[in-house]
Amino acid sequence: MKDLRTGLTRRRLLGTAIGGAAAMAAFPSWAQARTLNILSHAVHERVLGTAEGDLLADWKAANDASLSFTTFDSNPLQDRLFREASLPETEYSVGYLIDNRPTSDIAALFEPLGPLNDANPIEDFGDIAPGLIQGMTVDGNLIGIPVRHATQALFYNEALLEEAGISAPPQTLEELVEQANQLTFTSSAGTPVTGMVLASDLAVFPVMFARAFGGDFITHDFQLVPDRAAMEQGLSVLRGLFEAGALPRSYAATRNDDMVTWMQQGRAAFTVLPFARFAQLNNPEQSNFAGRIKAIPFPGSSTLPAGTPMSAVVEAWAMVIPRNATDKELAWSYIREVSSKRVTLGMALNGNGPVRVSSYADPALMQANPVAEIEAGVLANARGAFPPFPEAARAQATMLEEVQLAVLGRKSVTDAVGAIIDRVGPMMPA
Amino acid sequence: MRTRKLTELLPFVAPVHVLILSVIVLPALYVAWLSLMESSFGQAPSFVGFDNFIRVLSDPSFRSALWNTVVLVVVAVHVELLLGLLLALLFASGLPFRRVLLVCTLAPYAVSEVIAVVSWRYLFDPQAGPVTQLLLSLGLPVLDWSFEPVHAMILIAMLTIWLHLPFTFIILYAARLAIPGDLYEAARIDGARPWQAFRRVTLPMLGPAIVVALLFRYIFAFRIFSEVWLLTGGGPARTTEVVAVYLYREAFTYNAFGTAAATAWIMVLASLLLALGYVLVLRKQVTGNAH
Repeated sequence: MKDLRTGLTRRRLLGTAIGGAAAMAAFPSWAQARTLNILSHAVHERVLGTAEGDLLADWKAANDASLSFTTFDSNPLQDRLFREASLPETEYSVGYLIDNRPTSDIAALFEPLGPLNDANPIEDFGDIAPGLIQGMTVDGNLIGIPVRHATQALFYNEALLEEAGISAPPQTLEELVEQANQLTFTSSAGTPVTGMVLASDLAVFPVMFARAFGGDFITHDFQLVPDRAAMEQGLSVLRGLFEAGALPRSYAATRNDDMVTWMQQGRAAFTVLPFARFAQLNNPEQSNFAGRIKAIPFPGSSTLPAGTPMSAVVEAWAMVIPRNATDKELAWSYIREVSSKRVTLGMALNGNGPVRVSSYADPALMQANPVAEIEAGVLANARGAFPPFPEAARAQATMLEEVQLAVLGRKSVTDAVGAIIDRVGPMMPA
Repeated sequence: MRTRKLTELLPFVAPVHVLILSVIVLPALYVAWLSLMESSFGQAPSFVGFDNFIRVLSDPSFRSALWNTVVLVVVAVHVELLLGLLLALLFASGLPFRRVLLVCTLAPYAVSEVIAVVSWRYLFDPQAGPVTQLLLSLGLPVLDWSFEPVHAMILIAMLTIWLHLPFTFIILYAARLAIPGDLYEAARIDGARPWQAFRRVTLPMLGPAIVVALLFRYIFAFRIFSEVWLLTGGGPARTTEVVAVYLYREAFTYNAFGTAAATAWIMVLASLLLALGYVLVLRKQVTGNAH
């Protein structure tokens, strides 16, 4: 039958449709031979560089492969990664995993990498920080190769300190509190300055304050609040800062990005962020205080015995291969290349926290990153905020809820710490 | 003959059934099944009966979230109805620059919820927000929404009313325009005053439209998420959390799919109950007024 208006016949219509479908099905063969699909945070893709600065250009050419990144923010990324790894098959052959997520059940979704490393080893594997490797070893299986760490530092605005007549940044937590209170003022530019800005939705900050007194939230051997007095002291300091106005009134609504903005605008004198934020905080295109925002190790309390190291919080990312991935061979090849000394250093120069000890000895990195040496020192004693276990996310949220109540003055610090112990206790692994 | 016609027609209707079955019925059944299971990533689902429902209903955070949701829905939907009705009557009475004003009134409905929340968060920033600064300069009290849960709830309610007022307004405005002018003419001849005309003519005639607007808004408003999640995240200390945020945490933060599914079903039943009771009462009143 022929349509008299268009001249289209049924045979021609069907032929065109089938031909078009066949052409579309054949399309991938026109592109590069292999595409490696990767689930990551945007920062993981960015630090690998682009165009002329592409750190993987040679690897791509040698493997006739292209990379296709699908990026998300941290929590949605982990959710999507676990979802993909739970399917019968996934086209994502590499994923980026945070070190406080792999419980036994989660780890079982990913390929054990030990045998792959034995058969085709990563360059100088022993150079990768052993603590980070340990964090990715679950039930005796290495399931992820560390690729990035974010170690927390104390950032301060040097210009504001000078304006307030403070000649040196704090060496102890007590000095930090004193300076933060002193720096809660209106600057000469007319900007109301808050001594310190901290987000209220991350466990990092209360944990850092508890550790400053030798305490912790959950240790790596699963002790909940091992030193109750230290936790109470840490939270009392936060509450004192809030009551003095040295933490913003909007503390409960403050998020990570707010901390960066406040520091760049000179609205806060101190904050706690990963060392890797140094470049962003001092970026002349974004910051009103480019070059004047400095980083030092977060100080411990003067009440701690002399020589007691302060354990800053470190969060590490690792590359994993889902067990159901379609191209494990290419995935391992990618992981080997990204873990090489050359790429690790290249990524570090692009702002990545390097997982290789040797990277910190590189003159180029030392020159490009003024805080690299300090970061290396802090990393030596750093550990995760809490270990992975099935109810870790709920435990963190519960702790943060009680911390907010204590800091905002809606509950006494003693009661809040008691509630943390009572409520989180049943969530702990047996 | 009739049977044959139905058979012939079935292929044309079938895609609709397949669509409804695949995007509504099957997912709903799957969520119902999941609500009876304990399930997370890397675990095979295991049957736990109604434990998830008991766990959710006995959780103080859920009860607080449910209370917050009910308060927000009741306040927001009724204020929206009142404002929508006032605006509809105002527009119907004849306004200068009616088209421009109509565009202004409807504009919030074209704004993405995320953009709206980010804008409002900026405007009402407790330290540097333009609205906060303006109120301070006028010596007026400000909304301390990042500290006071009640203030946060007020801001969330204001935001959701602003976002969804156009929906209620346009339904009521269209219904008001459809009322024949003869009725008002007859009322006027009978000596009805404006208030009597409103009570005896406008309100009964708008009854069905009011029911439709309320029904839709009750069900939509019960799902409130973006406004709360992006503005307060449910804080401080979960005091402004609503049921949809509770569900999100269970599913996507704690990966507890069983309790998340149970929460979803409780949410559906609660919203239907809330809407159903109100609609029945209102229908009765409207019918009574009409007679």
